[in-house]
Amino acid sequence: MVKSIKLFFEQSWLLITSAFVFGLLLSVTNAAWQPRIIQNEIDKFNRLAGAMLSEAKTFELAAEKVEIDMPKGKTTLLEIKKGLDADGNCVGWAFVCHGSGFADKIRLVLTLDAGFETIKGFGVLSSNETPGFGDKIKKDYFRSQFMGMPAAEITLSKTGDYKEIDSEIVAITGATVSSEAVVAIVNNFVGQVRGKLKEKGLIDNGK
Amino acid sequence: MANDKSNDVSLSRTFISGFWNENPVLRLLLGMCPTLAVTAAVKPALTMGLSVIFVLICSNIVVSLMRNLLKPHLRILMFTLAIATFVTIADLFLKAFLPEMSSTLGPYIPLIIVNCIIICRAEACASKNPIVVSIIDAVGMGGGFTITLCFLAGIRELFATGAVFEIQVLATPETGGWFVPWAAMGMPVGAFITLGLMLGLTNIISKKA
Repeated sequence: MVKSIKLFFEQSWLLITSAFVFGLLLSVTNAAWQPRIIQNEIDKFNRLAGAMLSEAKTFELAAEKVEIDMPKGKTTLLEIKKGLDADGNCVGWAFVCHGSGFADKIRLVLTLDAGFETIKGFGVLSSNETPGFGDKIKKDYFRSQFMGMPAAEITLSKTGDYKEIDSEIVAITGATVSSEAVVAIVNNFVGQVRGKLKEKGLIDNGK
Repeated sequence: MANDKSNDVSLSRTFISGFWNENPVLRLLLGMCPTLAVTAAVKPALTMGLSVIFVLICSNIVVSLMRNLLKPHLRILMFTLAIATFVTIADLFLKAFLPEMSSTLGPYIPLIIVNCIIICRAEACASKNPIVVSIIDAVGMGGGFTITLCFLAGIRELFATGAVFEIQVLATPETGGWFVPWAAMGMPVGAFITLGLMLGLTNIISKKA
């Protein structure tokens, strides 16, 4: 028994020591940079949401995380933020929504007005859609179709006028899957978030 | 004296070999995943190259320092442990200080862990040589990898957008120019074609030499 333990340590002492040292190094590095990483994410959210809700000076958490149903029976926890103007009045809502794109997960920052009736727009937090095609979801001509549209069920059309603001979105040529993904994400989240905010009495005075 | 000179020659040969004779991409065909995936533009390619240089230098130093203590059957595990540590540090650094670039590169920075160049240099050089040789080998190999990636990315970015390093070189019709961007060059097909042509050119040049 003692012999086997001795053999074990003779063989593996370097591995055990290295794992401990490298683990310590990673812990220290992570502890040093993690606050900055979190701040970067907050800044990016505020930058994207602030560009769409220009009256909002700050964004604060509206309520505790809510559970949102996702495709294939999955769920996700969502933080809903309230955009506040200089006087502390609510000027809109912002949250991060996500879903599957053509190549990878698409994460959007979606903003709506204070009454949750009009979409103010979306910004792409992260995506790996095909360069030259799917990545055009970041382009203004596609995003601008969402600005000012009613927060109801959105449909996708392959042809039409990009400048027309209604409940129909014109898909990006050559990137129908990416366009469909954005529409599906918005449809999935807007309805559910409205329901959660109503439940909590944060919109429609609880009606 | 003669020994010093031969050492210098050997060190400079080690350094230079990474750029041509043993260029990881063009001659050894290693690290193909990032070569094809992050070369749509020069900036991400340069960031990837610099990250690989950092990981290569650090892992070569660690492996070289522990080379006399390594048990043969545990060496790959030790290499992976060291490489994974430095890749995680590089990934955290990018997330903290270059968040936009970190999201552009996506999973390809963490994937440096399985980049064959790094484990290949740990096995072929650092585990058999002293620290100075290991560092020079890492700089040479990493430098060769970075330059090749940037060259490949430069060609792709130019044809895909008319720009190099995000500086517009060829004016597109939108700005009153004649150059129509080739979207395909920004896609995987552009990476395969450009890399294939570069490999062919390398073979022609090396046969002549």
